[in-house]
Amino acid sequence: MAEFLDLALEAKNVSLRYKSSGRGMENVSFSVSPGEVFGLVGPNGSGKSTLLRVLSTAIEPDGGTFSVAGADGIREKRRVRARMGLMVDRPTHYGDLTGRANAYFFARAYGVEEAKAEAVVSDLLDFFDLTEYADDRVKTYSYGMGKKLALVEALAHRPEVLLLDEPSLGLDYTSQLAFQRKVRELSESGVAVVLASNQVDEVEALCDRVAFMYRGKVVAQDTPEALISSVEGLRRIVATLRNPVEYGPVAAVPGVQRVVPEGRNLVVHCGERPGIVADVVAGLVKSGGDIVSLSVERPNLEDVFVKLTGEALKREG
Amino acid sequence: MRVNPPDAYWKKDVSLFFGKRFALAIKMLYPIAIIGPVAASDIPAQYAAAVIGIVAVMAGTFGAGESLTTDLNDGILVRVSLTPLSPYRIVFEVLAVNAVLDLLQLLPALLVVFLLHPISLIWVLAACVALFATLVAANCIGIFIANFTSSPADVLLYATAILFPLIYLSGFFRNQNPEGIMLILRGFVPFAYANDALKTVFGLTTGTAPFEAIFYPVLICAVMALAVCLTAPQLLRTRF
Repeated sequence: MAEFLDLALEAKNVSLRYKSSGRGMENVSFSVSPGEVFGLVGPNGSGKSTLLRVLSTAIEPDGGTFSVAGADGIREKRRVRARMGLMVDRPTHYGDLTGRANAYFFARAYGVEEAKAEAVVSDLLDFFDLTEYADDRVKTYSYGMGKKLALVEALAHRPEVLLLDEPSLGLDYTSQLAFQRKVRELSESGVAVVLASNQVDEVEALCDRVAFMYRGKVVAQDTPEALISSVEGLRRIVATLRNPVEYGPVAAVPGVQRVVPEGRNLVVHCGERPGIVADVVAGLVKSGGDIVSLSVERPNLEDVFVKLTGEALKREG
Repeated sequence: MRVNPPDAYWKKDVSLFFGKRFALAIKMLYPIAIIGPVAASDIPAQYAAAVIGIVAVMAGTFGAGESLTTDLNDGILVRVSLTPLSPYRIVFEVLAVNAVLDLLQLLPALLVVFLLHPISLIWVLAACVALFATLVAANCIGIFIANFTSSPADVLLYATAILFPLIYLSGFFRNQNPEGIMLILRGFVPFAYANDALKTVFGLTTGTAPFEAIFYPVLICAVMALAVCLTAPQLLRTRF
């Protein structure tokens, strides 16, 4: 047990395969130190939520071990649960109870003393702008309000390890900022945070280290900076168009690796070569695109993601 | 003792029970609406006793089974099970609070019965304890069923399959004078003691003494409660 003590969370070769689908995860290993924010990124079905389910002690892995704040995740489930804050991807509450009653119930279930529970819950409801709705029944809450309430429930007992699955998905912009502020504050106070998200800008902004998961395996694990530096030589051209276009001519430009429409934007991933930006612009014009704005950006985790999944696919091929 | 905001699972259930006034009024009135006219009528004692027994059995089984499966479907029960609360304690609280709230719903109707059919205090006590045991047993069955399904509709189906033979054995309608194996089996069904106590309240004489109507169903229910609490890890597991 002593080997776990310096780490807030450590997973060693954790594997789980769902009998129904054959999917799951295989030999996942990583560790998170106190105060560290660890990101889990990967496409849908890559195993992020499954990993969080195992770490939250909801399901037992087929193989491997994990520990949370020194407690064995398989043999000491209740000790692990007491040290952990949890926000699942689809949070649920007692709809006929008020938001305050739900949060208070969970705070007490996690062992927060009666005298402290009300104050802690009130502070958190205030932090996430829920005070005005705290005494309304939860069934009247919007999706975003339900998510904020789930964050309150996850944080009220001051956990040592926080597991968050898509925490800011569905939150308004102000709430996303409040959430990020809270994560930084918790990290500074020594709380280890595991954050599963597909919002790569948020992961890049918050996480000290990131693991990329693909088809149940961790395919890369490092700091965001190190991961991004692995795609040096890649350019990201973002063109905002007035009209949607058939972008075949852009994809055919030599050096262009991938073209992704994102709303009114067309994101073009391409290699470094002289004149490529001009060629991409020419391709856009040839496609009939009316360019409103154009920017050449440095690569981000999204590009790492594209590169890694591409490599993983090639390995499988 | 404060119930709202709730700081325990049973307080949450009590809070929800009293929180919805219209539903509360219906829950409190429907047993009187069914049992009151039966108690006031001159139908044969065994059928009057059977009506009360059936109301208790149905309320207990469907109440616990449906509310549990609804919570399982929502995912909220699994979320609660991921707190440090003991799963055994959660299931025990589900069982205990549902049985007590069911009894609370039946008490006004029982009061009407005892007012219209005065009887000695020991039989009042025996009838109340045996009925409470019936509610506990019915809730145990409801919780047991929730181990196998997360669909409230399935609860109705499974409950019917389990309750019909038990109701038959208890002698609510048939098997009134059992012999041999049927008599032995009847002795293991807690509903049978409530049925005997209520028959006595309505003026029939049965072979059951007040002590038997209290002791045996309590003993059987304690075993059933223990068994159903042991299913807690299975009941509260994450389902896919």
